[in-house]
Amino acid sequence: MSSVTAHDTAGAKPRTTGGPTAQAPASAHPRLSRRHREWVAAGLFLAPDALGLLVFVAIPMVLSVVLSLFQVSGFGSYQWVGLGNYDRMFHDPLFWQSMKITGIYVVVLVPVLFCLSLALGLLVKQKLPGVGAYRTALFLPYVISLVVVGVLWKFMLDDQVGVVNKAMRAAGFGGASWLGSPGLALASVIAVMTWVMMGYYMIIFLAGLQEIPQEYYEAARIDGASAWRSFRSITWPLLRPTSFFVLLMSTVAAITGGLDLLFVLTKGGPANGTSLAIFYIYQQAFTFGEYGYASAMGTFLVLIMVVFAGVIFKVTKGGRFDDGE
Amino acid sequence: MLQHGKEAEPAAPTAQTAVRTDRPAPHASRRRFLTGLAGAGAAFAAPALLTGCGTAQAKGATMKFWNFYAPQNSPDPAIRAQAKWFTDLIDLWNSTHSPKIELVYIPVGDYTNGAKLPTAFATGSGPDIFLLSPGDFLRYYNGGVLADLTPHLDHGVVEDYGTALTSRMVDGKVYALPMEIEPLAMFYSIDTWEKAGLSEGDIPTTWDQMLGLGDKLRTRTRAGLVFETNPGYYQNFTWYPWMWQGGGDVLDAHGNVSFDSKATRQALSFWQDAVRHGIAPRTLPAAGDVIGGFKGDNVAMWQTGIWNVASFKAFAPEYRYGVFKLPAPDGGKYVTTLGGWSFCANAQSGNSDAAAEFCAWAIGSMKDDAIDRMVDWCIRAKSDVAPRTTALERGAAKGGYDSTIMKKFKDEVFPGGRAEPRYPPVVYKAISDAIQSTMLTGADVAAETQRAAESMKAYTKSYQGASLV
Repeated sequence: MSSVTAHDTAGAKPRTTGGPTAQAPASAHPRLSRRHREWVAAGLFLAPDALGLLVFVAIPMVLSVVLSLFQVSGFGSYQWVGLGNYDRMFHDPLFWQSMKITGIYVVVLVPVLFCLSLALGLLVKQKLPGVGAYRTALFLPYVISLVVVGVLWKFMLDDQVGVVNKAMRAAGFGGASWLGSPGLALASVIAVMTWVMMGYYMIIFLAGLQEIPQEYYEAARIDGASAWRSFRSITWPLLRPTSFFVLLMSTVAAITGGLDLLFVLTKGGPANGTSLAIFYIYQQAFTFGEYGYASAMGTFLVLIMVVFAGVIFKVTKGGRFDDGE
Repeated sequence: MLQHGKEAEPAAPTAQTAVRTDRPAPHASRRRFLTGLAGAGAAFAAPALLTGCGTAQAKGATMKFWNFYAPQNSPDPAIRAQAKWFTDLIDLWNSTHSPKIELVYIPVGDYTNGAKLPTAFATGSGPDIFLLSPGDFLRYYNGGVLADLTPHLDHGVVEDYGTALTSRMVDGKVYALPMEIEPLAMFYSIDTWEKAGLSEGDIPTTWDQMLGLGDKLRTRTRAGLVFETNPGYYQNFTWYPWMWQGGGDVLDAHGNVSFDSKATRQALSFWQDAVRHGIAPRTLPAAGDVIGGFKGDNVAMWQTGIWNVASFKAFAPEYRYGVFKLPAPDGGKYVTTLGGWSFCANAQSGNSDAAAEFCAWAIGSMKDDAIDRMVDWCIRAKSDVAPRTTALERGAAKGGYDSTIMKKFKDEVFPGGRAEPRYPPVVYKAISDAIQSTMLTGADVAAETQRAAESMKAYTKSYQGASLV
């Protein structure tokens, strides 16, 4: 290739080897070092993903922040209000109520989901007959549409003829209004969400558990360690990266997800009792046409998530082992 | 545009002032200047980017008609008939008019609660023609997207519609044409009624009588009486008549808040008592499926609308059910709410004139075709009261209201009706919160009524837009 043979050393005048087409690349692009070539290759591989993130995540996020500074009619009219939407947010009792409900939801859902998923991961790691079927069955709810899940559970939690109330009555307890009582509706939503998500995090934990060398457990058993001691001294510390991932992802999912499920199960009721922040934001944007205000609340929610993520990073040391690996 | 005065502060800086604040100080660095410039550019470009540089349909292009009926293929004969009514209508228009129209089907849940329609309008690419409910009328009118249909209407059409047009008019101009009227009534199971030793003579005429009957008919697996429990425009729609019956209202004739009244408290207490005593459930039986709830014997009485007559015909033709008009409180007067959707044309469309002309041609003309079309919609494709006097008379002459149920709707339920109000979101939300809190959490009725009234007063004080009443 002329571009390779045209110059041998940096700064040397390129040899003329022919017409302009052969000469131009040689003079424009000096030969790259191996390291630089790797960087270029890495960049090219990353470019499509980076472009996707830029177009579908970064730019919309920036635009959302900008939008939060306008009062938007929902019909193409934009009026600059500066921080007016944020001021309104700080004085909106329904927003703070939705934040409080979100807080309770996250504080309950994330630990429950974490513990249950870990327990299931440990369970399906065992060499049991038909364990593959168990894993599939437990993972199945995750692949079902949240709308379908919502309809399914709405029937199961029906006041009059729901299977849950029927079972309770058969067991000698009175039925309850699982989705209609202010004290129970949020707990029911959390229970359904746990049912949906636990299979996914179970698989994540299972992958983490299978990464732990079996020899460690064998050595512990030879040394007379109990199952609990093995878990505490081997499984738990070596699962740290997985635990970090599960904690982070389930927290983000709890704050931003579940909208479809809420729409089907409770529509934010009773009396705003399950109106999570994400539901309230959606309602403001798409039911009331308050896009600017909804963006302000969305921006605030992202900030909260960044803080949460920071705390999780700090507490778990980013999922790294103690030696920093 | 909605003008929430309390949010739109007059002294707030404009976009131009935002740019000025981003200009560099005399000794600012080049990087700082560029950063500021980029920020200001983003602020300016935001509206264009956020609207996706969208524009409504260009003039002369095929018009889009967004709706939740057609085209679709359904095993349900009622839905098939409704879809066919729409496709026949568009085929006829397309064979005789230009520009042509294309039907765009959006599932009803997505149309009423989803993001598709609001997003389309927010990005300037709303449909040329669309269906609108009364609850959304003001928001769309104030947003400037409803075309004036008045110039396209035949002489006499406004009078033919009568009061059915009131909530779709502003300053004497018509901005939406109702295609149907859907009154609310109480549906009940005749078998359940008879098994309890009741007859038609026991149909309740007062609230207390209805609560008593509900109490008698309820079992562990059967709700005595069902009111809407999910928060939303629909729940408010079903609650209004109970308030109106006692002489109450949300706003008086001048648009002043009159919500904090004895009639309001009485209506809120009525629903609260029904739930508190276990007569009405906290959630809808059969996940809100009226036909399924009755067929499964999970409900004795349900407050719902005329549209379920067609559903019973399609899904449970043999099922024995009856209808009675909403009972009134002691000393009150019978009222029910009249719902129903309308045809609207998008004022921002390049084809707004043609779209408005289509709406008038379809259901707003004095020609026989238009009247017969409405009759066909209300008595064959659906089960509704026709909003135009001529169409109602023709429908009756054709036997569309001969069945016991439809006759009852036409002669007893509809005459005491009042159009669904067109309150904007803030007013709707205040009422909704009061209903939800009192009904499902047992909150103090007087306190909730007062709180809602105060919230509405704060809003209406600075409201700018078309009349709220």
